[in-house]
Amino acid sequence: MEQVVNIELPNLSLLVPEIIVLITGFVLFSLDLVYKKINHTLATSVSFIGYLLAFLYIALNSHLTGETFYGLYVRDTFSSLLQSVMILLSLAILAFTYTYYRHKNSLYGEFYYILSFVLVGALFLASSYNLIVVYIALEAVSIGFYILTALSRKDFNSKEGAFKYLILGGISIALSSYGAGFMYVYSGSLDLRDILTYMADDEKLLILGVVFFLVGFAIKIGAVPFHFWLPDAYQGAPTPITAYMASVGKIAFFAPLARIMPLVSEHFENAWVLTISIISALTMLYGNLVALSQKDVKRLLAYSSIAHSGYILAGMAVSHVIGLKAVLYFLIAYSVMGMGGFVILGVLERSRGWQNRIDDFAGLRFSKFYLALAFAVFMFSLLGVPPTVGFVAKALVFMALAYKELWLLAFVMIIATGISTGYYLRLVAIMFMRKEESTVEIDLSNSEKLVLSFLSIATLILGVLPMILWFFVDISAELLFRR
Amino acid sequence: MEKIYAEFPIISVSLIIPIIGSLLIAFLSERYTKVLSVVTTGTVFVLSMLSLFFFDFSQAHKVQFYEEYTLIENLGLRLSLGLDGLSLLMYILTTLVSFVAILWSVRDKHINTRLKEYYIFFLITESFLIGVFSSWDILVFYVFYELTLVPMFFVIGIWGYKLRMYSAYKFFIYIFVSSLFLLLGIVSVAIQHYKNFGGISFSYFDLIKNEYSIGFEVFLFFLFLIAFAVKTPIVPFHTWLPDAHGEAPTAGSVVLAAVLLKMGTYALLRFNIGLFPEASVFLMPLMVIWGIITIVFASWFTITQSNVKRFVAYSSISHMGFVVTGMFLLNYEGMRASIMEMFAHGLTSSALFMMAGFIYNRLHSFNMDMLRGSIVFMPIFAVLIVVTGFSSMGLPGGSSFWGKFLTILGAKEYSLNLSLLVLAGAFFSGVYVLYLLKTLFLDAKSTSRIVHFTDIRGYKLVAFLFTVIPMLMVGFLPFLFFIMFDQTINNLLSLITQKAMGGIQ
Repeated sequence: MEQVVNIELPNLSLLVPEIIVLITGFVLFSLDLVYKKINHTLATSVSFIGYLLAFLYIALNSHLTGETFYGLYVRDTFSSLLQSVMILLSLAILAFTYTYYRHKNSLYGEFYYILSFVLVGALFLASSYNLIVVYIALEAVSIGFYILTALSRKDFNSKEGAFKYLILGGISIALSSYGAGFMYVYSGSLDLRDILTYMADDEKLLILGVVFFLVGFAIKIGAVPFHFWLPDAYQGAPTPITAYMASVGKIAFFAPLARIMPLVSEHFENAWVLTISIISALTMLYGNLVALSQKDVKRLLAYSSIAHSGYILAGMAVSHVIGLKAVLYFLIAYSVMGMGGFVILGVLERSRGWQNRIDDFAGLRFSKFYLALAFAVFMFSLLGVPPTVGFVAKALVFMALAYKELWLLAFVMIIATGISTGYYLRLVAIMFMRKEESTVEIDLSNSEKLVLSFLSIATLILGVLPMILWFFVDISAELLFRR
Repeated sequence: MEKIYAEFPIISVSLIIPIIGSLLIAFLSERYTKVLSVVTTGTVFVLSMLSLFFFDFSQAHKVQFYEEYTLIENLGLRLSLGLDGLSLLMYILTTLVSFVAILWSVRDKHINTRLKEYYIFFLITESFLIGVFSSWDILVFYVFYELTLVPMFFVIGIWGYKLRMYSAYKFFIYIFVSSLFLLLGIVSVAIQHYKNFGGISFSYFDLIKNEYSIGFEVFLFFLFLIAFAVKTPIVPFHTWLPDAHGEAPTAGSVVLAAVLLKMGTYALLRFNIGLFPEASVFLMPLMVIWGIITIVFASWFTITQSNVKRFVAYSSISHMGFVVTGMFLLNYEGMRASIMEMFAHGLTSSALFMMAGFIYNRLHSFNMDMLRGSIVFMPIFAVLIVVTGFSSMGLPGGSSFWGKFLTILGAKEYSLNLSLLVLAGAFFSGVYVLYLLKTLFLDAKSTSRIVHFTDIRGYKLVAFLFTVIPMLMVGFLPFLFFIMFDQTINNLLSLITQKAMGGIQ
């Protein structure tokens, strides 16, 4: 009872970014209500300004740390890092959709405020230990994604993808909440930090709860064998949404896992290492093997996204601070390069007769040189060729695996990467080496050029000068582990 | 190991010049492409020659022209560039061969599309190669090692012959996948340094102090070996090479054979032996036998080839066999032979690939049957080919002679039988060169066609001379080269004695 009496004033300064994004969402919502047909330039600018303010607040107050609402909300370097990356990527998506939807003529006012609400959820996911907060944020992100996936009302694929996503997402939420229930009942606390220290008492049902909770997240990140929704949802969703799911969605769903990783692995090192290793190995092998046989590039990139979840999980299997560093770096790296791949697909979709087939890419270099170059950069980065960010990320994962001497997992990762060479390289080769002229007739808009140069330059810069990102990753991981 | 810091950052300058050159090519009109690339590679070549004057040969085992820039402090990641005697030789080979390749391309009729990209790829390859041979930070070495893949992938795939895309894939996949093992090995070594001394470091100077259990050291040795055995290549892992070298455009084959293969052997010598001396001593018999097997089998494969480019490609493998055998004899003669053979093979293989390209321009065929007697009416070219052929064969006075002779001498230190085995290998490699020369000179099929061939001249002659003259220098003035790397070898051998033999006692 003592805690209830002990009233503290909420430190709202920690929550300012979330509040800004939330207000942005409400403003957009009202705009959509007021106007019959929303003015896209206005809506985009409003969201842009809101997100930018939120980003600037985090960037300028990087020292800001602390807990508020009785530990419901935690702001530390970890959350600030992931939040700023997520907001930046949301800005990129906004700039990209601005052209995409106007061309496709299927943009509705819902898009803007749902995007904001998803972002709020994602921001909260990165910064809480509390089961209830994590649960609500998870719901906010997931429901937002269901709607966004189904947003192209006239498109059958979009509906199919959304439906599959909804069903499996529902199962995931159910499992997570079921697990959360167990965890609360057997530990008497909603704070994951407390719960996981109770786990040391070897309460079987509590462990069951944790397992359920984690399986829920495994579904969300698309880990094999819980991945079935992912290719369909990614393929069916409008491409900007796919890009958003592959970047911000990935970070958001991995963030709680990364947050509890130090705690779980501390108490259950062997079980954690074994389970995560097996899931990780399956995920990377499956993702890459299936991607190898895909003819549709969007689906191929979806499977590659599964495979990348596997690589990130490989870092997570290492129950040491170096593993967490690798996870963080890889997460951010993938969100940048994965988004890049999908954004280019979205740009190309505007061209007439484009169907995302591999053969559509033949000779792309001749019609759209810079687009082909950017796509090659992203493909090489996904493959892990220096000097791209993907290489640094893979090297860090290898380092983590070598630290804990998980040689078998490391070899599986080598094999998986070897398999992935097949399809990434094929895309690059087809673009640059085939003679046929592709029939791409598009003029890139300025906003698209901006997004693509931002993503491809980030991919290269973070590979050549990894210390820019490493500095933050290092501190956040160290702080999270020291707690 | 000691370092002598650079007064003038000669290596980073020669790393950056090709990059600047390629940027200029990218943004200027295509008219200037060829001039710019010749000037760029020429400048770097001159720079490398200048470095010879400033290199202190009396302390060739020290790392000279040393520069260091910290990249990530708490990962111990630094960009540290410098040359010891061995790297210096490889550096000169790189700049020389790049210059030759560019000179050759200028008049190569096969290269007629997308000129800008072509020259840019060659220039950045040169830059990366210099990075490979001068990096003393092992992760940076790996980055450069991998980077060379990308431009070569495009060069093979875009300007290659019939099977170009297939060969480009094969080249990239083989080397990329094998070098992932190397990456794992590299980070393991760095982590081991952390476990031994409490700080991650990728610096070669720190890593040679590492201590391993023998089992773990052998494991790491194999992680490194997988990558370098594919790159070098050693026999069962060689299958990418004939395709890549056979299908690449002439200048691409030249750079591939002359320098890219040396990355593998250089790294074997520098890292496998330097970092894991105990494992090297332990695995010496395996590696020597493996090297000899490579020599013999590759020589046999060579003779059966009907495509002259594949013929030269296979002959490269057999030369690499000598390099591997020599270095894993782990004695003075063997290592001398090995390094000398690396340099010599760089020269002869470039010349032989240029020969294949030159004849292709006239005959439009790589078929050995078509080649019969084809060079009889081109006297200057014929002379150059004879010199190259006999150099490659290992005739005294030829550049490969020292490689082969000293390997045999080194093997003799262990047993007579071993040296006889190497001698047999040397015999087979003589056979295929004679076969090639016979084909080129004798039993002409259609004299009327070949009579009108114009002899080699202009840029191509200069390119050829830039390989043939150093060949003769290696053959007749070997001490000029020995003084470069003898002290490096002594250093390495004393390291082995200290670590491996000390451990045994």
